[in-house]
Amino acid sequence: MSREWIQKSLLICIVMTITILSGVQFYRHRHFQLPIVAGPGVTKVTMLSDYCQSLKGTPADTRVFFMEGAEEGGKTLIIANTHSNEPAAILAALIFIENAMVDRGSLIVIPQFNNSGSRNTKPGDGYVLFFDIPTEWGSKRFRMGNRNAAPLDQWPDPDVYVHYPDKKLFSFLDARNTNRTWPGRENGLLMEKVTFAAMELMRTEGVDVAIDIHGAETMFPVTNCIVAPKKAMRIATITSMIVNAREGFENHVEPSPKSFRGLSHREIGDFSETMPFLLEAPLPFLDQPTGPKTEALLLDGKDPFLLSLSKQKKLFVPYDSTGWSMEKRVGQHCSVILELMNQFSRRNRERSIIVSQVPKYAEIIERGVGFYYKDPDKADRERIYYN
Amino acid sequence: MYLQIGLILLIMVLAYGLAKWKNLSVELCMASSAVAGGLAGAFIKAPPLIQLARHLVEGTFTYLDVMLVFVTATIFIKIITESGGVDYVVRGIITAFFNMRIVALLMLMIVLLIPGALTGAGSVSILTVGAPCAMALGYLGISKKRVAAILFIIAGLSAAAPPVNIWAMIISAGTAIPYVGFEFPLGIPVLILGTFTVLFLGWKRENNMELAEVLSRMPTIPEKMNAWRVALPFMTFFGLIAISRIWPFALPVMGLPLQFSIAALVALLVSPKRINFLVLSRDTVKLLLPLLATMAIVGSLQQIMTVTGVRGLISYTVISMPLIVLYISLIFIIPISEGILTYGGAAIIGIPLVWFLDSIGLHATVAIAGLSLIWPLGDGLPPTALIGRLTVIMSDYKGSYTSFLKATWVPWVLITITGILMILFSAKLSFLVEWGM
Repeated sequence: MSREWIQKSLLICIVMTITILSGVQFYRHRHFQLPIVAGPGVTKVTMLSDYCQSLKGTPADTRVFFMEGAEEGGKTLIIANTHSNEPAAILAALIFIENAMVDRGSLIVIPQFNNSGSRNTKPGDGYVLFFDIPTEWGSKRFRMGNRNAAPLDQWPDPDVYVHYPDKKLFSFLDARNTNRTWPGRENGLLMEKVTFAAMELMRTEGVDVAIDIHGAETMFPVTNCIVAPKKAMRIATITSMIVNAREGFENHVEPSPKSFRGLSHREIGDFSETMPFLLEAPLPFLDQPTGPKTEALLLDGKDPFLLSLSKQKKLFVPYDSTGWSMEKRVGQHCSVILELMNQFSRRNRERSIIVSQVPKYAEIIERGVGFYYKDPDKADRERIYYN
Repeated sequence: MYLQIGLILLIMVLAYGLAKWKNLSVELCMASSAVAGGLAGAFIKAPPLIQLARHLVEGTFTYLDVMLVFVTATIFIKIITESGGVDYVVRGIITAFFNMRIVALLMLMIVLLIPGALTGAGSVSILTVGAPCAMALGYLGISKKRVAAILFIIAGLSAAAPPVNIWAMIISAGTAIPYVGFEFPLGIPVLILGTFTVLFLGWKRENNMELAEVLSRMPTIPEKMNAWRVALPFMTFFGLIAISRIWPFALPVMGLPLQFSIAALVALLVSPKRINFLVLSRDTVKLLLPLLATMAIVGSLQQIMTVTGVRGLISYTVISMPLIVLYISLIFIIPISEGILTYGGAAIIGIPLVWFLDSIGLHATVAIAGLSLIWPLGDGLPPTALIGRLTVIMSDYKGSYTSFLKATWVPWVLITITGILMILFSAKLSFLVEWGM
């Protein structure tokens, strides 16, 4: 046996071992099922494909939780994990699903909007595969996903993504980005089917308010804000002022640009009667100039490089040594959602939506996010839904 | 944390140096650096040791799409070359324009620009049309050193040229800026700088061969080769691109690799010469292997640098510089980042840099275009020197690598100045973006 043959065989063995080891981890990540305990307010759970048949049986199909009040009223749709690498969204959505009680009107929640993206990783960016949220009964594990759907589910990418219906051009990656594929097509690309199904849901159910939850870099100008089109601007502005005055956190308003197509805050408003809002909370983990990309950075948002850049006034949000914790982000989202519904209800009495049992900013910071999650082991099995 | 990350960076550099000292290839040097960085990072659980293998493997997928385009595009052009199509075009240019030297130079520039512009990879220009173009430039009386310099600069510009500019696409994807409106901010400077380069480096005639003598030295063209046989595969490719833009909602998405593959099939069918496709494919992949290996390993290296914080440290250092120092340092930082990381530099430095430039009132799209002009220059710098290495091979230049690189200095400086000026005056140049919208 020649020396070269031995070297090559050894190298092949090493590569095979590394590949199998990582393959197992990728498989576990992609097939991990998140248990969601339907709280007392949940009245029915359906699939998004109920609103778009072509989505049925695909890896992009996802669960929709309905919380219907005893009294007729307006309807709010909460969309989380449009980008699955912005996890404060799903954490806030789960607080609503597991705790909210709806007295009037309806609340509809899609916790894992880009289901395919939540089972995808981002090569080159060194994300963690999972993160754990401490609770009173142990810890609750979540998948960390990617901004875009998995190429395993939608491939190949076009050379340039041509947006439907106005033919605006985007980077090829945006063909898998569910915040560029609105308003979608029934027989289009898989992610266009996802957004089309959501549009159909809003049109069929008569949704009044749609809230799409996101996170953005501290160096990104559009962060820590509510993005709204003209028809939703007044409610967004008053909400921003009220949360600032009553709850003590800043959340400014950004107008939805008319020429930037494909985004939820643009197309939902243009293609339905629904009033759209997009929430952005600062997410230091996504910033480029940070230290190691660890689970701790994802959860506490503390980073010495960002702290230094903040002192140099190069960030778009206030940032100090306390970082920007998950509690702050989730707390902001919950408070802003509640206030948006409140402001809408004040202006549309006959379509008002009254929701209770959802904690606000200060409570979430004090008790932690995990405090509001139910233990799946102790829950009624029929009330557990995996996503 | 600064010290910890600094130490990891030092270990990565030392591992690279050690591998280089052991005469390992550039790809293996980078792989050693990634593994060493990952192991060092494991001491601070960034990444945890159990996750190291996953990070190394995941990183190799970063540029998978680009690699598929490299392979299919190169097979496509190799079939055209093998069928005699490229020789046919070069002979046509020489015959028609031998006495109109400037036109001949400009035509060759266009031939060199097309493959890179379509694929976003200057290396594809070199691999596909580099050899015949070098031959034609030689017939026009240009020295081998200057031929190599022309090839390198034009191939670099071809990678920056629209419609596919990988640096701009990486930054656009990372900054949520739509990849639109780049046609004029990239196309105009590429054509001006390309024209300057071929005229400046190709002006001087070093021999006085007659046309008949030149033609007699050129490779013979297969008898049945004609303009249609050359044009049809290109028309197929551009046709597929065109119909995907004209009727985007009526047709399934094909993607560049399949579009190139279909065009390659057409090229195979219309070739006047019988081509053994399997042998050609095997040889092409063999030829591309170092490039593909580099792309895969750069992805791994980038992932390890990110997870350990090294990428963040580099990014932080660049963003923290005073503005004037930053502008000056871009002259060095941009090409060096390309030389070390190829496209990885666009993500590590480009994304935060563009956010920062955007925040101080500069126009992001024009600034990205300016940066994308400078990045390809780094493809001549070690350790990777992707286009530089390929250029020397394809142009058959026997002199030292440094002497070839020195011959590029005038266009190099001009491209750098143009790129920096485009960044500085991006707000005033925003009309270029509006033209293309």
